[in-house]
Amino acid sequence: MADLASIARIPGVASAVLGDESGGFHDAVREDDGESVASITGFVAAALARAGEELGLGSMRRIAAAGANRGFVVVKLGQAYVTARVEPAAALAAVERALEAPAAKGG
Amino acid sequence: METILQSLMELSGVSAVLVFDQAGQLLGHRGHSVYDQTLCQGVSAALAKALDAVQLQQEDWETVTAHYADGKLVLRRVIAVDQTNVLAVVADGSLNASFATVALRVAAGKLKRFLEGGAASSSTPGLGSSAASARHGPAASQAGPADSRPNLAASGLSWSKISNVGLSRVAVADPASGAFLTRCAKELAQYVGPIAKVYVEEGVRRVSPESPFALPQAKALVDDLAAQIEDTGDRTKFQKALAK
Repeated sequence: MADLASIARIPGVASAVLGDESGGFHDAVREDDGESVASITGFVAAALARAGEELGLGSMRRIAAAGANRGFVVVKLGQAYVTARVEPAAALAAVERALEAPAAKGG
Repeated sequence: METILQSLMELSGVSAVLVFDQAGQLLGHRGHSVYDQTLCQGVSAALAKALDAVQLQQEDWETVTAHYADGKLVLRRVIAVDQTNVLAVVADGSLNASFATVALRVAAGKLKRFLEGGAASSSTPGLGSSAASARHGPAASQAGPADSRPNLAASGLSWSKISNVGLSRVAVADPASGAFLTRCAKELAQYVGPIAKVYVEEGVRRVSPESPFALPQAKALVDDLAAQIEDTGDRTKFQKALAK
């Protein structure tokens, strides 16, 4: 199980939500409506996973979205998805790197 | 268009480049032979759905990168003539992220100019066959009547707005109306999963944009939500369940 509190302490992480592949909500740190975030993440991850399979890219590991001032990272940890909202956007790469370590261990 | 896509194909590790509009209509593609038009069209539709939902989490997204076991997919938003288009690059693990970022930025600028020029003109010189077919008339770039895909991107919802407006906090006229919305979300979740709650919020905004939701608007809401269910049998079951 992902240690959400540790993830939320990564510099640049504004909030973190733990959900599952079906969009179910498990836990949140500094996020008022974790249920919506988890459901949207589940939907996005499922659609991107399907597209990746069709393109022969294999299983999906991570998603990063960036805008001018903020972004978010979704990391698959076993059967779970962690969605970390990142602000400022410049911290996105560092947050991705920080989240890669637990992801590589399978959560 | 071909030149723009070819410039991205020349990046090391890139195996296909696609351009599609917000309805998921493929406007152009280039890639290794396995990435044919049928595959690219199907993938474009799936990616457009994913990006509609990304838009809910972050309205101002510019790039989305999905990392896979055997490669990555980089999506860059290109807004031309007030329409969102997407430039997508399919690559293996050898793609140099820094080079790709610069190349995508350049290509997106050129594509924007191309699309704006193409929209102002009645002809579309330089488009490939898939692009030409996609540009025949405005209807071609819109979801057709048979497409029940929710137009989430146009909803104006964003991560921050959703975070502050949970389903329980959607404005309702009375407790019975609130209970009905909860029932709607539970029934709809059987067919679309947990995102049902988001669909209900969006549906309420459509059927009752100016005032709190009330039971006299229930049928309009159910019909609106039913459009999110692709299977006609499931759609009927959903409508019957909420008609009781």
